[in-house]
Amino acid sequence: MANEEEDASELKLGEDFLKEKCLMNAEVAKILQHKYDTANQMSDDPSSQLSQVFEKSFAYVKRFSRYKNPEAVQQVREVLSRNQLAEFEVCVLGNLCPETVEEATALVPSIAKKGRLDDERIEQMLADLARIKTFE
Amino acid sequence: MFFHIRLERNLQLHPRFFGPQLRDKLVEKLIHDVEGTCSGRHGFVVAVTGVDTIGKGLIRDGTGYVTFPIHYQCVVFRPFKGEILEGVVTLVNKMGFFAEAGPVQIFVSNHLIPDDMSFQSGDVPCYETSDSSVRIQKDSEVRLKIVGTRVDATEIFCIGTIKDDFLGLIGDPTAGA
Repeated sequence: MANEEEDASELKLGEDFLKEKCLMNAEVAKILQHKYDTANQMSDDPSSQLSQVFEKSFAYVKRFSRYKNPEAVQQVREVLSRNQLAEFEVCVLGNLCPETVEEATALVPSIAKKGRLDDERIEQMLADLARIKTFE
Repeated sequence: MFFHIRLERNLQLHPRFFGPQLRDKLVEKLIHDVEGTCSGRHGFVVAVTGVDTIGKGLIRDGTGYVTFPIHYQCVVFRPFKGEILEGVVTLVNKMGFFAEAGPVQIFVSNHLIPDDMSFQSGDVPCYETSDSSVRIQKDSEVRLKIVGTRVDATEIFCIGTIKDDFLGLIGDPTAGA
C-alpha cells in the first residue's frame, strides 16, 4: 500500500501530491467563503447544496486561520518562499505559526535537514512572520 | 493539509441533456458527483474550483449514454502520516480522545497522551495533569501529529499523538480562548 511509504516529516507525500499546490488554512477559508457566498445567492437554503465535508472544512479553516487579511497571507507566502522551502513546509509553518527555532524544527523537521537552513536563517524567517502578524 | 489539485473524471450523461446547456449540465453533475466524496488516494474533495477541459464525448454502445472525460481543479483535504495539524476535541473517554480536523476524524489513544495526564470521569470527561494546569476536554483545541492512517472506501481515519515536543493543548474553552 502506498500509505506505508508516506511520511510528511520527511516530505514523502507520494507522487500524486508531490507536485501539487498546498494551501494554507487562510487561503482555503477564502476559497470556501467565495463558494459559500455564491451558493447563498443561488438559493435560500445553502446548506442543502453544500456537502457535510464542505461545512466541516469551512468551520475548521475559519477556526484555525492565523491570518484574516488576504494581503497578509500573500506576504507570508512570499517570506516563506524566499527560503527555498517546499510547498508543504510553507503551509505547515503558515498554519502553525511557530514562535521559536526549536518549535519550528520540531514541527517541520525537514527544514533543518541536509544543512538547508541554519538556525539563524530560521530565526530570521520566524521574525518576519511575526512582524506580518503584528501589522496585519 | 489542504491541496489544490487537478483531477480527471469520466462523466456519463443521459442524452436528454444534450443541447445548449450541455456544458453547464456537465459541470453541475461533476460538482454533485465529486464534492463531499473521499478516496484513499486523494482524500476528501471539499470543493470544485474550476473545470479545465471537457473532452469529446463517446457514445456508449447500446445505452445512448455519452461519456465525457473532464479535467477539473479542486480543493482536497488529505491527511499524511507525520503531518502536524490542529484539531478540535469532539469526544473524550477512558480509551483516549477523538479530535476533528476539517472532515477527518483523528483518534488519540491514551498511550499516546503524555504520562503525566490522566483520565478524569465526571460531568465533563477530560484528560488532566495532576496540578490541573492542562486540561483536555470536549471543544479544546489541540495540536497533534498523525502517526497512522487507515483508509476505508468512503472515509479516512487517523491515529494521532500528543506525546511529543510542542504538541498538546493550544486553547482552552474554559479560559475563553
